[in-house]
Amino acid sequence: MQLSLSFRVFRFLAIGLALVFTLIPVLWMMSMAFKPIPEWSASGDNLTWWPKDPTLDNFRYIFGASSSELLSTLERTAGRPILASLLAATIGTLIAMVVGSSAAYGVSRYGSGKNLPLALIQLRLFPPLAVMIPVMVMWTFLGLTDTWYGLSLVYGIVTLPFAFWLMKTYFDDMPIEIEEAALVEGCSRFRVLTRVTLPMMRGPLASSALLVFILNWSDYLIALMLTTRDWVTIPVYMASLSSSMTGQLYGAKAALGLIAAVPPVIMGILIQKHLVRGLTFGALKQ
Amino acid sequence: MTHSSPQTSNAAKDAPKSRLGLWLTLPAQLLILFVAVFPLLMQLYLSFSDWTPLAGRSWTRAHELWIGFWNYSDLFADPRFWGALWRTMIVIGIAVPVEFLLGLGLATLFMQDFRGKKVLYSTLLVPMMIVPAVAGYMFFLLFQSDGPINGLLSALTGLDVSIRWLTDPDLAIFAVMIADIWQWTPLMFLILLAGLLGVPREQLTAATLLGASPWQRFRTIVLPKIKVIIVIALAIRVIEVFKIFDTLFIMTAGGPGTATETISVFFYKIMTLELAWSYVAAAGLVILIALSILAVAAMYFLPKSKEAGK
Repeated sequence: MQLSLSFRVFRFLAIGLALVFTLIPVLWMMSMAFKPIPEWSASGDNLTWWPKDPTLDNFRYIFGASSSELLSTLERTAGRPILASLLAATIGTLIAMVVGSSAAYGVSRYGSGKNLPLALIQLRLFPPLAVMIPVMVMWTFLGLTDTWYGLSLVYGIVTLPFAFWLMKTYFDDMPIEIEEAALVEGCSRFRVLTRVTLPMMRGPLASSALLVFILNWSDYLIALMLTTRDWVTIPVYMASLSSSMTGQLYGAKAALGLIAAVPPVIMGILIQKHLVRGLTFGALKQ
Repeated sequence: MTHSSPQTSNAAKDAPKSRLGLWLTLPAQLLILFVAVFPLLMQLYLSFSDWTPLAGRSWTRAHELWIGFWNYSDLFADPRFWGALWRTMIVIGIAVPVEFLLGLGLATLFMQDFRGKKVLYSTLLVPMMIVPAVAGYMFFLLFQSDGPINGLLSALTGLDVSIRWLTDPDLAIFAVMIADIWQWTPLMFLILLAGLLGVPREQLTAATLLGASPWQRFRTIVLPKIKVIIVIALAIRVIEVFKIFDTLFIMTAGGPGTATETISVFFYKIMTLELAWSYVAAAGLVILIALSILAVAAMYFLPKSKEAGK
């Protein structure tokens, strides 16, 4: 189809505008992460989209390696929250994927657990804070508050619907004949699952796991409620950063934000093809 | 492309009832029991009491503080609750349509091939992959009185603009919506583009040759095909915006005053600042019931639109 010139110009301008709107917030935080303290404020003629005097001080600062006369040394550095985020998101992903994909297989192939598809969607419907009270009471009661395993368990449950639905659509799509052939050959049903089905599902499993990891890594609210000190994650730690001297630690927080933002963006681009399916609970495929 | 929830495969009927299926679904069932059924009963129990973590007794003895339906009647008379609900509705009512229209517009521009399409597509999707709390922080920085938005406005107008975006009760909610629109328009774009690419190209070309205007083509060919997808996209966003917390809380913490206090922030504040846990338990249940009723109503209407979409 030949497109008119005016349409092309319009498309160029519209996409250009969207691009600017998309990139400005990212660019500002990125440059803030490399700005020295005098450039943190954008008032007057300080509106620079690129640091005039780029520095790694903000990164050094959050890891406790440097502090200028303006900033007092941090009581707690970013190392531990980064570890907490990594650990809780990873274990949470593991729980969601193991429980979710085995349930998905059971539902897809054997028709067990008929209540699961809907029950798991419902889990997604409710605001976490509306059901947080009993979880907090239970977690305190069981001593799971402010532990990596307590947080991971909640992450596993919260992202279970995504893992389940995503894997269910992939199992539904997989031709049954291959498994039937293996059954005829004399494989047990369990062996068919572990030796035939799962190896074939390596790709979908990997992309689902990445999506679930992104979702877990992105959490702020749950960690805010369930961790207090030892296992606070990056977003909670970031929000709590401030200094008595300068108030908001713009640059340091931006540096931390950058560290938090990079892994999911890279992973998200890697699994771009699966995003539509993943985020619509398999209702849509691309 | 469109895919109504798939039926259980035929093997289920053919195969002898396998215990494997039960074993495989058992962990998920247990988790649901552990996080949904049991906690809901506990929540119901607590909601009839005046229990708080400071009550000096374990939650199991909350019945000693039994107050019947007081929490519920308090809630329905609480202007702060209704205010939070109302603000949540406003954010849904403005942000979701804007995201939808921007996403749809952008998606139509990506229907044809052009140079650099792939890179642009990936770049435009970046906001939805940013950790929401970090996105909130990005906009927190942008909207500071000495931040770049005021800086840009000053540079453009030549005046010394210092709008207090986040601390002005009238503006803060719009700042919050702009952040949400920035982050989630890409999701609309992604979903709607997937839908648009499923519309048969030949039909569109034929209609163009027959002299159909772009609007006619959209209304008679595209819209019926992507109706279900639109419903799904809107439903997902409405549900998510109803829960809005991370970006908003980082930007304004619900303030100034209660100017940006949505329902989740309301829960959070009553829980952490006033420690009125049994009150929040009651409020949470009311929200759960209301949402469930809405969901059932939506399910009742959805099958019709699904058929229409085929």
